[in-house]
Amino acid sequence: MLTRQISTAAPIFLLMYIIQEAVISQFRLPGGGFSVLLIFTLTWAVLSETEVAAVIGFAAGFLMDLSQSAAGPFGQWTFIMLMAGYAISYIGYGDDNVRANAIGIIFFVVIANLLVEIAYVASGALLGVSSGSIIQVLITLFGMSVWALLVSPILLPIFSRLHGLIFDSRSAL
Amino acid sequence: MRNGGRARLLLVILIVTSLFLITLDLRGVKVIGNIKQGSQTIMSPFQRAGSVVLTPVKNFFSDVTHLGRTRNQIEKLQAENAKLKTTLIDRKNADAQLKQLKKILDLAGTAGYKIVNAKVISNGSSQSFSQTITIDSGTNAGIKKNMTVLSQYGIAGVVKDVYPSSALIQLASDPSFRIGARIAGTQQIGILTGRGTRSGSLQLLDNSTTVKEGDVLLSRGSVADSPYVPGVPLGYVTAVDNSAGAVAQTATVRYYTNFSTLGIVAVVVSGSAANPGDSLVPVKPRVTPIPTVTVFVTPSPTPTK
Repeated sequence: MLTRQISTAAPIFLLMYIIQEAVISQFRLPGGGFSVLLIFTLTWAVLSETEVAAVIGFAAGFLMDLSQSAAGPFGQWTFIMLMAGYAISYIGYGDDNVRANAIGIIFFVVIANLLVEIAYVASGALLGVSSGSIIQVLITLFGMSVWALLVSPILLPIFSRLHGLIFDSRSAL
Repeated sequence: MRNGGRARLLLVILIVTSLFLITLDLRGVKVIGNIKQGSQTIMSPFQRAGSVVLTPVKNFFSDVTHLGRTRNQIEKLQAENAKLKTTLIDRKNADAQLKQLKKILDLAGTAGYKIVNAKVISNGSSQSFSQTITIDSGTNAGIKKNMTVLSQYGIAGVVKDVYPSSALIQLASDPSFRIGARIAGTQQIGILTGRGTRSGSLQLLDNSTTVKEGDVLLSRGSVADSPYVPGVPLGYVTAVDNSAGAVAQTATVRYYTNFSTLGIVAVVVSGSAANPGDSLVPVKPRVTPIPTVTVFVTPSPTPTK
């Protein structure tokens, strides 16, 4: 069951990766922009069980590591996204205050987006990756959070519908 | 309970796998590089298609974003145009202008670099806090890793990774970008580092030398011209940090290249036989005084009978 669901979700993740690399990356958006794959994965993780969230976090992180703009060692995004997916699902799954509430999911995703980026910068620093001056990093983190806050409400209904189609558990979002 | 155990086991397996991937990459195992290369080979047609389809949208957004700036630029260009028209009237000035124009056009040829032009097909995402672009030429066009990349104004970056039909360029604004720089004229040397913006940070290597605002920086060049060919204009000093106790002077440098508007770049596939020295230093705009001629009319003497 789990294998079937994950294999059905895999093409959607690939599509998100292609959209991110071929479309979103064409625009040098102010404040660092946003990652549609990251937002998609975090939203998916909120709506899924811990096992599924961990696997999709791992897969999404692997794709993010394949991105040419990934500055850190291969596997850094995989590790962070795996942990993020599992943690988000662990905190949010079963809690109707989060799952049944669109605003709750959006804030959950935005905060998770920020924490994931902070984890990336912190682990990058430990692995010897330069991320720029502290001010520049803070500006980028703030910009990314604002973008996530703007984009998540638009994408959430689509992501929720896709999740419902695969897992037969569409909530009324 | 059994489900919880299975989830934990799965999590442990995935954690170990991801840490294994990090270890492999840090140890320089080639498999990882090949996976990335394969993915980029697959992705480059999508990026190219995206670049073609989205160019009008990008231009529209760029126009909207730079609305105020564009208007200023138009006004500036109109004023410049009027000035040029006036200048062209004067034959002598026109000759001088033509000479200057020829010099600008010959700038790329002056250094004797052999270059490959390429189009930017993707801007790297800032989610990884890196500054990169992807171009539509790769090994098929003779591009190799660690080659200097130029914009129309000077340094753009360096080839970080190369694939058959595309290449990843690390921009000079990337925080991990380092280049040996020398100050045109005085020949003082230092290291220029990216800051994530159009400004860079210059650290002089000698504590007995000084740098001043307006100094022009050129690339010092590397052994066998890899990764950097010598003589490429980098930027100019905008501020000098004279803090007491510093081992050597540091300065803020503004790059000549505007990294957010890169559309076409040139990859230097082979450097010049001789060091171009300071020959590529951009010419500072000079105000040409317009000569004024005062004519005094002297009435002709009244004809006498």
